[in-house]
Amino acid sequence: MKFLVLLLAALAPATVLAQYYAGKTVTIIVGYKTGGGYDATARVLARHLPKHIPGKPTVIVQNMPGANSIIAANHVYAVARPDGLTIATFNRNLPIAQLIKVDGVKYDMTKFAWIGSAASECTVLAIRTDLPYNTFEELRKSKQQIVIGATGPGANTYDFPLLLKEFLGVNLKIVSGYQSSADIMLAIERKEVDGRAGSFTSVRPFIDRKLVKPLLRARATEPGVENLPIDEDLAPTPRAKAIMALRSAPEVVGRPYVMHPDTSPEHLRIMRQAFAAAIKDAELVAESKKAKMDLEFVDGDFAVKVMKEVLSQPKDVVDEFSKYVKFGE
Amino acid sequence: MIEALFEGLLLVLQWKPLVFMLAGIALGFWVGLLPGLGGATTLALMLPFVYAMQPVEAFAFLLGMHAVVATTGDITSVLFGVPGEATSAAVILDGHAMAKKGEAGRALGAALASSLVGAIVGAFALAVAIPMVRPLVLTFGSPELFMLAIVGIAFIASLSAPGPRGMMRGFLAGGFGLLCATVGQDPQAGIARYTFDTLYLWGGLDLVPVLVGVFAIPEIIDLAVRRGSIAGALPDGRISKGALEGVKDTFRHFWLTIRCSLIGTFIGIMPGMGGSVAQWMAYGHAAQSARNAEERKGFGAGDVRGVLGPGAANNSKEGGSLIPTIAFGVPGSTAMAILLGGFFLLGLVPGPDMLTKHLPVTFSMVWTIVIANIVTVLVCFLFLNQLARLTAVRGAVLIPAILVLVFIGSYTSNNHYGDILITLVFGAIGFLMVMGGWPRAPFVLGMVLGKIAENYLYISVARYEAAWLTRPVVLVLAAIAVAVILYPLLQRRKAVHA
Repeated sequence: MKFLVLLLAALAPATVLAQYYAGKTVTIIVGYKTGGGYDATARVLARHLPKHIPGKPTVIVQNMPGANSIIAANHVYAVARPDGLTIATFNRNLPIAQLIKVDGVKYDMTKFAWIGSAASECTVLAIRTDLPYNTFEELRKSKQQIVIGATGPGANTYDFPLLLKEFLGVNLKIVSGYQSSADIMLAIERKEVDGRAGSFTSVRPFIDRKLVKPLLRARATEPGVENLPIDEDLAPTPRAKAIMALRSAPEVVGRPYVMHPDTSPEHLRIMRQAFAAAIKDAELVAESKKAKMDLEFVDGDFAVKVMKEVLSQPKDVVDEFSKYVKFGE
Repeated sequence: MIEALFEGLLLVLQWKPLVFMLAGIALGFWVGLLPGLGGATTLALMLPFVYAMQPVEAFAFLLGMHAVVATTGDITSVLFGVPGEATSAAVILDGHAMAKKGEAGRALGAALASSLVGAIVGAFALAVAIPMVRPLVLTFGSPELFMLAIVGIAFIASLSAPGPRGMMRGFLAGGFGLLCATVGQDPQAGIARYTFDTLYLWGGLDLVPVLVGVFAIPEIIDLAVRRGSIAGALPDGRISKGALEGVKDTFRHFWLTIRCSLIGTFIGIMPGMGGSVAQWMAYGHAAQSARNAEERKGFGAGDVRGVLGPGAANNSKEGGSLIPTIAFGVPGSTAMAILLGGFFLLGLVPGPDMLTKHLPVTFSMVWTIVIANIVTVLVCFLFLNQLARLTAVRGAVLIPAILVLVFIGSYTSNNHYGDILITLVFGAIGFLMVMGGWPRAPFVLGMVLGKIAENYLYISVARYEAAWLTRPVVLVLAAIAVAVILYPLLQRRKAVHA
């Protein structure tokens, strides 16, 4: 009898939770419009998550664009109910917005109930294959100026080369204002610019086509670029290293997924398990491989650690950092 | 080459791609009619369905859907003055004016027939251009794209009322449009401009709520004040005839339709110009075809040429915008960006190979656009007269339905109440412009081209300093811009002397 009670007690939460999600709808709020990388990742997950959540709820995606997804983050932080049914995914640079105190930020990155990240996004610097430099060292030593195309401040296309120029003494001329990373690629093709920085995912098709070659990467890594030199390792001073590290820290949590801060630990645990399982799901892997996106689950606890690391920098580092890096995209 | 052309056609005509295309068309039909629900969003939603398809089937499905959206968007524009899509707003100016004169059938006939001609001309232009398309696209660097935007802005001259006063108003309205395009975070210094400390305005003004406000709200007020129906007090009999008249109009002004189709294809090929630009450039060009001041006044008051121009450009640009996507892997619009995702899903690598090794697949896409348009236009003609009869429905019955469409349409752009406010604010501005006799077209042209012009000017100067001014294509485009501005003036002088 006693054994039975214990057994029931052990099983109870699972069945209660199964009932909780059964017939309900889980909403993933995306901080961007349809069509981008964040949106595409969320839609793939929405298709495969239901299998891995007890009670098999319906999972839908809702787009809440605006202010580089600050609006979506504020919404889930303060407005959405902490019932485990609303998930948000947004700009990985939101901790930077909080760090440099952007107007309108109402969230605290460290307080969200962190499910984790669905991928890490590695930033690489790539230049045209017909240029004579085969390694980053050769480029740096040549002292020749090369032109880097960028979208705008706050995007990795702009910030990454800016720090290289400031701290590593590479002679780069950064031209910003391109509408998308694809537009920069075309500018490379017509030799208006010599190279660009950007997430490996977006540059890879052009590396495969031998239009550009990657020379350098930031800390976060992905299969295919492990052997490139890392910007931080080349930093001449600890300060420079700290600033480069700060810029690239959020990239480890490249596709963040969070819930309201007051979400119950039970619901959070369920979602973490569901995400971890869904991202390993054979069907999802097959799909994401076709779509050329590499998904890899990063646990919520680790994400919180990264957030705390970013947000606990000494004031002088933050001050210097905000001289170079703005919040954007 | 010719072989690939036919091989492409045969690929599409297999029964499975054909069925998928028809499914896509059925879907795109409704998406186009409903304002706000854009082609790009629908493409994103439909993408998961292509996993299990073969490349040709998948593109027949996606492109069939996409090609139709622009066509049926024109229907909403003509009937209600509500832009069915951001890319079909230019048709409103004359199309809806025609509907108000009781010529809805003729306007729809003209819009659909010119769409069809546009799609076919666009496809042929592409087929001819494929060998030189790569050098063509690569010739157009940032300085050239900037000058292209300037040529577009110069069309304001022919979109304004004649006379110094009319010109002045046109350019002021255009200037206001340019100003509206600067709202949001700027891409050079990351500074928030005219955002009034609201997060909503960071991303800038969205085109759909603004267009819906500027065009639809004044029409609704007008309809409510006039009472009666859109087509006024005209006898019922006159409304339904005329679809055929519209088709005849297309052939009456055949060269104009062809020229506007070519403008559309060309703007489509240029990556970064965006889908909304083509229709306005074509409208500007159509307005230039007015032979005298009397005819010029007719534009905006229901001249069928004002329907033919944007109608043709709207569909011919689709084929063109495939090119940067296919040949360079660089999408020209959001819809094309999503389509690019489809390429990867299907294991196709966009790039030069698509113009050589996989040329039949490329042609099959062009054919899909042509066939989808033919099917849509034929289907539309079946209901055209019934649709046109909607303009005879009493305003009191119609207005609530249109209002729902208007606000849902603008709300879908960001799912934010700010969208509704923007619609109301620009609705008020549009209403005042109509009352005061200010032209709305230059305003929209300024807004559509503002961001493009600003960014490419900045890039040109940052990259080349002053040297970009002497590039040959830049000089040619500058000459064209001057000609576009002077043309209406010369025309006037000729009219005075005659």
